[in-house]
Amino acid sequence: MRLSRAVVLPALAVVLAALAAYPMVGSGYGVRATLQVFMWIALAGSWNLISGLTGYVSFGHVAFFGAGAYTGAILVAHAGWSWPAAALAGGVAACLLALLIGYPCLRLKGPYFAIAMLGLNEVLRALVSYFEGLTGGGNGLSLPTLDATRAIYYVMGALAVAVTAMTYAIITSRFGLRLMTIREDEVAAEAMGIDTFRHKLVAFLLSAVGPGIAGALTARDQGYIEPISVFPLAITVTMIVMVLFGGKGTVWGPVLGAAALFVIQEIVWARYPYVHPLLFGTIIVAVVLLMPRGVLGLLQLKYRLPRTI
Amino acid sequence: MAVLAVESVTKSFGGVAAVHGVSFALEAGRIYGLIGPNGSGKTTLFNCITGLEPIDAGRVRFKDERIDGLKPWRVARRGIGRTFQMIRVFPELTALENLLVVTRGPRDQAERRGREMLAFVKLEGLAGEYAGNLSYGQQKLVEFVRVLMTDPTLILLDEPAAGVNRTLLNDLLAAVARLRDEGRTILLVEHDMKVVMGLCETVFVLDHGEKIAEGPPGLIQADERVIEAYFGA
Repeated sequence: MRLSRAVVLPALAVVLAALAAYPMVGSGYGVRATLQVFMWIALAGSWNLISGLTGYVSFGHVAFFGAGAYTGAILVAHAGWSWPAAALAGGVAACLLALLIGYPCLRLKGPYFAIAMLGLNEVLRALVSYFEGLTGGGNGLSLPTLDATRAIYYVMGALAVAVTAMTYAIITSRFGLRLMTIREDEVAAEAMGIDTFRHKLVAFLLSAVGPGIAGALTARDQGYIEPISVFPLAITVTMIVMVLFGGKGTVWGPVLGAAALFVIQEIVWARYPYVHPLLFGTIIVAVVLLMPRGVLGLLQLKYRLPRTI
Repeated sequence: MAVLAVESVTKSFGGVAAVHGVSFALEAGRIYGLIGPNGSGKTTLFNCITGLEPIDAGRVRFKDERIDGLKPWRVARRGIGRTFQMIRVFPELTALENLLVVTRGPRDQAERRGREMLAFVKLEGLAGEYAGNLSYGQQKLVEFVRVLMTDPTLILLDEPAAGVNRTLLNDLLAAVARLRDEGRTILLVEHDMKVVMGLCETVFVLDHGEKIAEGPPGLIQADERVIEAYFGA
């Protein structure tokens, strides 16, 4: 344990230093691609907090991404906010939305919660399309031109680190273990004195902040958003597949899943654009059939690895 | 003063009264048995006491305060712990983690206490093993000490003897007697009559959701209505 810490911490420091230095030397494409990986780590890690730990599968997590994107974009475009402040506001807005939705919906049992979340996303998409004055409706919303990709790279990277660090802190705490009891047996957890509703709600709020900030950052980086670009079901599906692949309920599973699948996706996308959707379907089926716990979950169970992986 | 008072509790599912007008009271520091044929409402009654099933009528009072209508976790926090007929450990948590999740306060203290509890049921060597990998009997012990970790005043045990070998059972029964000596109250549902007769000071008998007898085990065994309920007229 101590030995592994002596290896892991310096290794992590080296990786982070390399990623921090990368924009000075990397190509424009490389920086953009890495920025995308950061975003996916933040999204997958956040989904893992609610769904990987408590087993309450959120099929509408992109709603928080979209809510953050629109909040950030509106504040930048209409109120002249700076993008870092708008990004924070995106996180706050997503968290408030999670409170509004989680309060009634987390009382529902697993499958009903999943469907309710799916519905939430469609409702939000319809709402932003309707309020044209504020959101531009179906025409989308353009932000003032600004080249901030490099700065956003660092902020998105910090967000990915923060989400992963938070996951570590939660999973190694009794709060995290209690979240897992909800996944394992919610009735027994209640009978043992665990206030499962409050635990789920806290996890849900925490899981919304990261996507909210990521949404606002993405909106700023791309300079233009429209309902179909920030509320697509595909983003939720991608988060889910990344976590399932890497290992749900683990600290590093979402990181591994996000990085691995993004790289695979880029390669396939470039070479065989038409097979690209097929690939994701195949991965889902393969993961569910062959290793339902994902890569790290499988290793953890087989080799009795600590919860810190 | 009674620790637990169940007053005319009724619970129906659809048109079927699973528990009908049942009343009894439990005094502190005693062991009680709840027996009855299959489907007589024993587990439903447990669920009504612990808040897992909302009751249709009647009252449940614990330490003189009403607890019917409270959420299960609030009932548990008041000091009522239970085990389940079908074991409900958290399979993908380790044996020690199964105990840690119910604790509050400093973690190192909680871990020490958890290890003591596992040693108490001779499972200290399996602290880091996933509960789902343990044998049936071991899981039962983990579930038993998990209840004790919450330091309950009243402990409801749903068939503690079922599927447990003799040696283990004797340890378990000795532990239950010790809990009683500490001043805790125990109510157990059990089919093994030897266990009930040897351990319980008072036995309640349920049949078709109604309490048909109450008294010391010796008298209960000779009660005609009880014999009829079990063996038919």
